[in-house]
Amino acid sequence: MEKTTVCILDDEAIVGDRLKPELEDDGYEVEVFTDSASALTRVNETCFDIFITDLKMEGVDGMGFLERVKEKCPESEVIVITGYATMETARESLIKGAYDFIAKPFRIGEIKAAVKKAKKKARHRR
Amino acid sequence: MLKLGGVFTVLKNLLGRKKENQAPFSDLFVWFQNILKKNNAAMELIADMGGKMGGEFIFDKKYLSDNVKKLQELVRSSAYDLNYITDNQYLELYGVIEDLAKKLEIELSGKIVIPGAKRIYDLNEIEDGMEDLVGYKACNLSRILNLSEVKVPDSFAVTVGGFRDYMAYNNLFETIEGAVKEYSDEQKSVESVSNATQLRILGGEIPPELRRQILAAGERLSCGKPGSCYFAVRSSAVGEDGDLSFAGLHDSFLNVQFNELLSHYKKVLASLYNQASLEYRLRMNVLSLEMAMPVLYQKMIKSHVSGVLFTLDPNRPERAESLLSASLGLGKVVVEGQEGVDTFRISRNPPYPIVEQQIRSKSPMETPPEKDASQKGTGEPSGDPCLTSKEISAIMDVGLILERYFKRPLDVEWSMDEDGQLWILQARQLNMPRPKRMQHTKLKGATEGHRVLFKNRGMIAYRGIGAGPVWIVENDQDLNHFPRGGVLVSHFSPPWLAKVIPRATAIITDVGAVTGHMATVAREFRVPTIVGAEVATELLAPNQEVTVDTEKNIVYEGLIQELIHHQLLDVPSFETTREFQLLRRLLKKIAPLSLTDPADPGFTPRGCQTFHDVMRFVHEKAFQALVQAGKDSRSFLRRGGKRLKSHLPLDLVLIDIGGGLAEEVGKEMYVEPEKITSTPMKALWQGLSSPNVWNTEPIPVDFKGLMSSLTRTQSSELLGNALPSVNLAVLGSNYVNLSLPLGYHFTAVDAAIGSSPENNNISFRFVGGVTDITRRSRRATLLANILEKAGFKVKMNGDLVIARAINLSEEQMMHQLLLIGKLIGFARQLDVLMKNDEDVAYYFQKFREQLEKPVET
Repeated sequence: MEKTTVCILDDEAIVGDRLKPELEDDGYEVEVFTDSASALTRVNETCFDIFITDLKMEGVDGMGFLERVKEKCPESEVIVITGYATMETARESLIKGAYDFIAKPFRIGEIKAAVKKAKKKARHRR
Repeated sequence: MLKLGGVFTVLKNLLGRKKENQAPFSDLFVWFQNILKKNNAAMELIADMGGKMGGEFIFDKKYLSDNVKKLQELVRSSAYDLNYITDNQYLELYGVIEDLAKKLEIELSGKIVIPGAKRIYDLNEIEDGMEDLVGYKACNLSRILNLSEVKVPDSFAVTVGGFRDYMAYNNLFETIEGAVKEYSDEQKSVESVSNATQLRILGGEIPPELRRQILAAGERLSCGKPGSCYFAVRSSAVGEDGDLSFAGLHDSFLNVQFNELLSHYKKVLASLYNQASLEYRLRMNVLSLEMAMPVLYQKMIKSHVSGVLFTLDPNRPERAESLLSASLGLGKVVVEGQEGVDTFRISRNPPYPIVEQQIRSKSPMETPPEKDASQKGTGEPSGDPCLTSKEISAIMDVGLILERYFKRPLDVEWSMDEDGQLWILQARQLNMPRPKRMQHTKLKGATEGHRVLFKNRGMIAYRGIGAGPVWIVENDQDLNHFPRGGVLVSHFSPPWLAKVIPRATAIITDVGAVTGHMATVAREFRVPTIVGAEVATELLAPNQEVTVDTEKNIVYEGLIQELIHHQLLDVPSFETTREFQLLRRLLKKIAPLSLTDPADPGFTPRGCQTFHDVMRFVHEKAFQALVQAGKDSRSFLRRGGKRLKSHLPLDLVLIDIGGGLAEEVGKEMYVEPEKITSTPMKALWQGLSSPNVWNTEPIPVDFKGLMSSLTRTQSSELLGNALPSVNLAVLGSNYVNLSLPLGYHFTAVDAAIGSSPENNNISFRFVGGVTDITRRSRRATLLANILEKAGFKVKMNGDLVIARAINLSEEQMMHQLLLIGKLIGFARQLDVLMKNDEDVAYYFQKFREQLEKPVET
């Protein structure tokens, strides 16, 4: 069976650095980006099964990234992670089609569970 | 104890303050409660940050800077509150807070704080992140200072700055740069470049200021008497013992005398350019002017036997064995690989059986020169091993504690002195042939066949992998026999488990919080820990061997070596991330509490070293302001205080700062105990009013007791600060502060108890008595013994007892307060009765009996 692919976008390198090995351990194929421009370039080449994106970033921010991903890859699931969690941002990202919304800092187990659920949903949809 | 002059100052302050400058009394309650609230909020933030040290969370820099900002605001505004209610008595606090805030901001900005001209650091002044300043060797040793079970000789380091000063002062930079270039361009041989460069360095002169500082630091190390001690002068080159080992390439010198400290500084600097070092650097592609040599000075241990421990055999890591070499004397022979060395291959599992050993015939010991004469004659060659099995296991214990702490196999240089005390001279990462990172699938295979005892239970307080026999702790006895390398299993997570944490390979508790004190200590010692697993004491059997994987939150039956190796060799630890190291450095300036005794002369704004200290200071002084505002019980009563109705000989005034008394009390002057709604006061009162605890019989004072009572003054001098002259309880719904100036002794209890353990704390102080200091100290000893047994952290000094309990659950805290209540009544007149030292044990037993009696509810 093909591995589920995950794209992590966060301008704080620590997030990708720590999440990547954790998700790889669970059998995912993971790519990490720290700026939205290069992540978007990659999205033009391929649709990952699952996206994990920060909200507040230079250039195209997480909300913009979410919209572009949903446009280009409607089948993919997007999990939004942010240190600026408010009801407003949560609602907005869910309206724009995010699958889940997680406030930073988060437990590794928490995001793994979200990814697992997103994977099930993505599978189901296919 | 405060001198008479101090008492006058206190009185003068009390009487002399102008009324119009004071905050109105009714306002005081509101402000005091605000301070309490801010204190709680700050403690919650600190606990939250502490909880992130366990590796279970992913956090970024924003989280850190946000929290630091919030803390700064809380601390600043608390200081403002305090100054408002005390008519600006503590303006100095603002400066202290800004200094601390600035240090935190510098940390956050990513610049290492290097005080300008500082060229010398004592080991305990070195912090994480100073590797580039003092070298890894000195940094590693300073980190070992955190481990109370491991001893490190007194040491200091001369920084990179010292090295640069030296090079600049002697105009060496350019010449050496040229010479090294000639070597790297292959124009000259390594031998000629090395010789010429070293000669130049040795021929230089130490700048006068540096020279003065080295000698002064040397004097501090030499027990005050230059010449009475010897030194080891070691290289601590930047990069050495870090990712690159450079093991043995640079020179270290043993048995250096005080008058040789300076010449050996130059020798160590010169060794930066010895042949082996130059060749190694060229090969590793690190030959550049970034070469720099901090130097470590250590006080020599008079060693009986010394050597090197590899905590894991680098060539056969899968065998779970350590390699130990040892020789009589200073251990230089081991490091330099000469003869006369015993080697042992030892199993890493306690009790560390020897798998293989080679015992060599030994010549006389290498000892400091002063001893040579006496030793030489007696030094017959001997064929006995130079270590007993007990000594081997002591070395293994410490080696494995260090390995667990650094989370890497280590190369440890050790020395055992004539008293059998083990000293760690240096510890560095052991270079292992690096296998490819074990793949997920392979690891999964490793755990196959091992029964999962339970998984995904509770919260991870610290991530990692630990394995060993289960040891279930139910009481002190269990704790005292806790085996090294055991898996600590307990129903609760009380702070007093802390004393065995350094010996544990993993910890699992049924009940507990990741922000609790026990979890904090577990993180400090980096012991993989699960709290709140609910089923651990039920599902795990004593002595059952288990592997605890807190990365995946699974407990397996049996020892799974592959997993242990995986953690030791393959996984880059989360602790190497920048954010984590930053958090650790920030917490060092935020979380430790050093101000614990308000009577201590250091209990001042300037004495505050962390934000926690500031909050503690503000709380204490705010409380004092509150109680100083009323002079006697009438003045408290006039301003809304109540009298507690009770059969006890205790005229207790209650002040409710909100939620401490039932609403129906209204304006009534007398309050029934049942109307107390303050959670902690209820527990205290339950203890205080237990039947038979409160001895009301007058106790005859014998002549000796009487004489000393005549010469003692009243209790207002007792704590070095103004105290209420009435028995006073300040109550909030989750708070109590009880001050009892009973007769000649003084008791104070300050407690906050609610549903979140991280905010729960009790502090208890007791001082004084009617009799002479011997009898008063006897009573203090009794109190200290009882409180310690009950799990309090206790400090005693003469007749002063200070006890603290923190982070227990609400239920446990209530139990502790009940005990304190009983103890106050019980101990009231005991100093008179305790005529002999044996009485301590007698009354200890008596109190235990008291405790077992049911309380009235």
